[in-house]
Amino acid sequence: MAEPIIAGVAESNLGETPDRNWLDNAAIATVRALEDAGCTLEDVDGVAVAGGDDYMPALVLSEYLDLEEPSFLEGTEIGGSSFEHFCGHVRDAMARGEADVVVVAYGSTRNTGPRDERSLEETHPIDGFVRPTGLFRPPGAYAMAARRHMHEYGTTGEQLAEIAVATREWAAMNPKAAHREPITVDDVLKSRKIAEPFTLLDCCLVSDGGGAVVLVSAEKAAELGVPEIAVAGVASTSTHRQDISEMPDMTTTGAAVTGPKAFEQAGITHDDVDVAEIYDSFTYTALVTLEDLGFCEKGEGGEFVSGGTTAPGGELPMNTQGAGSRIATPDTLASSSSSRPPDSSAASTRESARSTTPRSRSPTAPADSSPRVARSSSGGNHERTSERPP
Amino acid sequence: MSAPVKDRREKWEGPVPVPTGATVPFWAGTLEGDLRYQECECGNRQLYPRAICTSCGDEDPPFEVSEGVGTIYTYTVCHVPGEPGFGDRTPYVVGAIDLVEGPRLLALIDAEPEGLEIGASVAVTFWQISDVAAIPVFVPE
Repeated sequence: MAEPIIAGVAESNLGETPDRNWLDNAAIATVRALEDAGCTLEDVDGVAVAGGDDYMPALVLSEYLDLEEPSFLEGTEIGGSSFEHFCGHVRDAMARGEADVVVVAYGSTRNTGPRDERSLEETHPIDGFVRPTGLFRPPGAYAMAARRHMHEYGTTGEQLAEIAVATREWAAMNPKAAHREPITVDDVLKSRKIAEPFTLLDCCLVSDGGGAVVLVSAEKAAELGVPEIAVAGVASTSTHRQDISEMPDMTTTGAAVTGPKAFEQAGITHDDVDVAEIYDSFTYTALVTLEDLGFCEKGEGGEFVSGGTTAPGGELPMNTQGAGSRIATPDTLASSSSSRPPDSSAASTRESARSTTPRSRSPTAPADSSPRVARSSSGGNHERTSERPP
Repeated sequence: MSAPVKDRREKWEGPVPVPTGATVPFWAGTLEGDLRYQECECGNRQLYPRAICTSCGDEDPPFEVSEGVGTIYTYTVCHVPGEPGFGDRTPYVVGAIDLVEGPRLLALIDAEPEGLEIGASVAVTFWQISDVAAIPVFVPE
């Protein structure tokens, strides 16, 4: 099967971009990713975009980039998993010969941009059952799931904190990370309470920024001379939309369904995986996803992540750039005022059984590669916390 | 059942439900102290109210009145207000309540966080927050 090759990746400036809108950030990331891939806007024949604050983001971004008759357009909105989801559609399109260079892009101004303040008249009927509870979403929703996990499996706050500590160790090595100072389990437990059992350091940053990945066909990859870092497996599913009470089993995510499918497509087992990059909107998110993807038994995530398993030098390096919890990666959940609990799940294995050559990448070095300090926040609708983690 | 309905209209600054379509009977019930859920002829029970039964597809499954009691499936203590009008309430408790009839409902729990635990029994009360809706708020039994 023709697997799309990841030929380039890049980010726009991160943290605070008050003079940019989501589209600017997505476009800047796109051009930088194309540079990384060794191609140009003229090569692009496909756009896949989600999370932007526009009704028809694929059309809007294509127009913004002034693309000439792109043959592949994709704008399916399934929250933060949209981008992995796109990879499967790109694979199919490339197999049909419909596209050779597709940009998967995202942009956000969740940190400094205006908030979507839609009234209940304009939203889904379920919001009338959820919003009057005052639940701070998404942190409160994930916190409820985390507490249930603790109840069922004995997971502890200390174990969740281990994930934050390990990820911060990775962030310390990333000059673009918003927070690079070491933290301890105790720091996490004693940071400001957000939605119990979560404290501030259990929660991801909210930041402005954009990110893009350039996927190319095998033929184009050969032409560009890029290493074959292939998308080897992709799967998607959905368990619920936005209200955590609609999640069938609050302690199991859709990754339990998508993970086995993606592994099977890739033809690999967990033993083949050297690095895991797992969305960590909250410490708990990473923990439950590790379980659901099968890196440990269900309920044993807390034990698994203890002792630096996911830290530098650990058994399973995870989120090696510092991830959403520690660096100002754009919040990929954004699409409306309310970001979402894990309403859907897409998994992609980023390792290819036949393509394991790491690419020696020149720094993507944006003009201002100095760390941008994002206002740390736990995400959500109405408050932007100005407090910074220690 | 007819659970107590407290008039909170003057104090309430938070979001207010908008009864529409399938949710109209639910919100009408709340003003009377009734917690309603849909129970289809096929036996499926569901909340939130929908125009179809998610089990058999029948349109407009009828409503039944819940006993108004259930257990805490999980909860969180919110220290950051998630909606306008909640700033003065922190910390407050939001729970997922499993009604004895089956459906799960997200709702405020009007209690101090310290004594709460998963599995505890709770009973519904209502806070009337607009002329057309009262929200279910659970208290420990």
